[in-house]
Amino acid sequence: MNTNSNVYTVIYTAIIVIVVAAVLALVSQSLKGRQEANEKADTISQMLTAAGFGTKAEFGKMGNAAVIDKYSAEIEEAFTVGIDGEKKADLPEGKVFSPKELKALNYIIKDPEKAEEAALPVFRFKGGLTVVPIYGAGLWGPVWGYIAFDESLTIRGAYFDHESETAGLGARIKDDPSFQARFAGKKADFSAPERSAVFEIVKGGVSGEDGALDNKIDAITGATMTSKGLDEAIDTWLYAYGAWFNAIPASACDIQGESCCCSGCQKSCCASCPCEKCCTSEDCTVSCGPDCCSEQCGCCSDNCCETKSEEE
Amino acid sequence: MNAKIKETLLNPIFKGNPITVLVLGICSSLAVTVTLKGALVMSLSVIVVTGVSSLILSLLRNTIPSRVRIIVQLVVVAMMVILVDQVLKSFEATYAIDKQLSVYIGLIITNCIVMGRIEAFALGNKPWPSTLDGIANGAGYGLILIVVAFFRELLGSGTLFGFDILNRFGYVTNNLVILPPFALILLGCIVWLQRSIQKDLQEK
Repeated sequence: MNTNSNVYTVIYTAIIVIVVAAVLALVSQSLKGRQEANEKADTISQMLTAAGFGTKAEFGKMGNAAVIDKYSAEIEEAFTVGIDGEKKADLPEGKVFSPKELKALNYIIKDPEKAEEAALPVFRFKGGLTVVPIYGAGLWGPVWGYIAFDESLTIRGAYFDHESETAGLGARIKDDPSFQARFAGKKADFSAPERSAVFEIVKGGVSGEDGALDNKIDAITGATMTSKGLDEAIDTWLYAYGAWFNAIPASACDIQGESCCCSGCQKSCCASCPCEKCCTSEDCTVSCGPDCCSEQCGCCSDNCCETKSEEE
Repeated sequence: MNAKIKETLLNPIFKGNPITVLVLGICSSLAVTVTLKGALVMSLSVIVVTGVSSLILSLLRNTIPSRVRIIVQLVVVAMMVILVDQVLKSFEATYAIDKQLSVYIGLIITNCIVMGRIEAFALGNKPWPSTLDGIANGAGYGLILIVVAFFRELLGSGTLFGFDILNRFGYVTNNLVILPPFALILLGCIVWLQRSIQKDLQEK
């Protein structure tokens, strides 16, 4: 047979391509379930790491089933909120957001016309922890992650992931626990007038004066663009969540009950408050001594302690 | 095992090593050698891709129209690369490492070793020697990858396979070693070493 004739060439290539496409489609379909399960367990372990239930390496060794068990044991509720701060809907049990879904959401919240439609996921864990995702563009590809807030809206922890940042530089947002640890104890400025002022990752280090401001952390040396991209991602997303964080809805207060007093949320939402005055986070300059209302308040103002002692 | 098969198997490991002698597959050897685990998975993936695609194309060699042979090779190699990537993503044990290697698994297709061996060997030889040639070339590539990764992980992060080695003694991690240029320096040293042992490689 003449293998160089035009007819033969066309038929031959067509058959090869069809066979290869069929093999790939078959394999892709049959492995899809396993791949999605792996991705889901990975996403869950990222959230659990941000919330401080363990380290990413520990979850990696646990295996998928154990990670999902841990998640079901720790999660309290998961729902979506709009950028107006209103709760939209409950998420189905075990639902998490893959990077692809976050990417789609990222487009929506960045588009002023569509932002209203955004349904942003909120994950509430035991111990009053609220975990929210962020997503944005790093230097070479997307960066995303999860930030965990406690009841006083102080950041408890964070975990970030990326697709293709430079190993040893930008990749440190994922690989370097000391970078992620910089977030703990910081706050986001949810009432910031501008999006870019919500949270800042500062190049050249946070100096003494800046250090007093608790929404700034030090950037990564040699990874300016990744740091900027991450900063932008955090700003965009936390700004979108701003309205919700500023007015934590009544249903959330019910869960917090008595202990919510003096921890940053509205006094009106506590069932009963052992303190006379409920302090806002701005009032917090001094931590209370053991004889004051420190059990209830992680941190409260002088005012709070005074009122309490006068009463006694 | 006859002498010819032995030669097919052993030549690519040292004397005709694809990286140090043919200088193929340099870019991925700079990219994936930060950790030993990554280098190991990458080596195994390349061995599978070169071995199986050499086998398939050697079986087809007499039917392939010569005008479109590169395209046919490309289709088969691309299929193998996607299959390897899909399989790595499907297992719990390899999911994390696949994520870490990210684009480089997909980029095996651009690894000149794969196409180079198919074009130079598989299209002119019987299936069995072609498969061995593919595997041996993948292994030769893998050997260099693992040697480079050993030094980079040890001197860069102070660990081996993720276990603390130098770290235990207060070793400060070295960013230069972690970055790709150091892999090039190391590769240069390996080529130097090989050429001083194998005098026939030296140009006059």
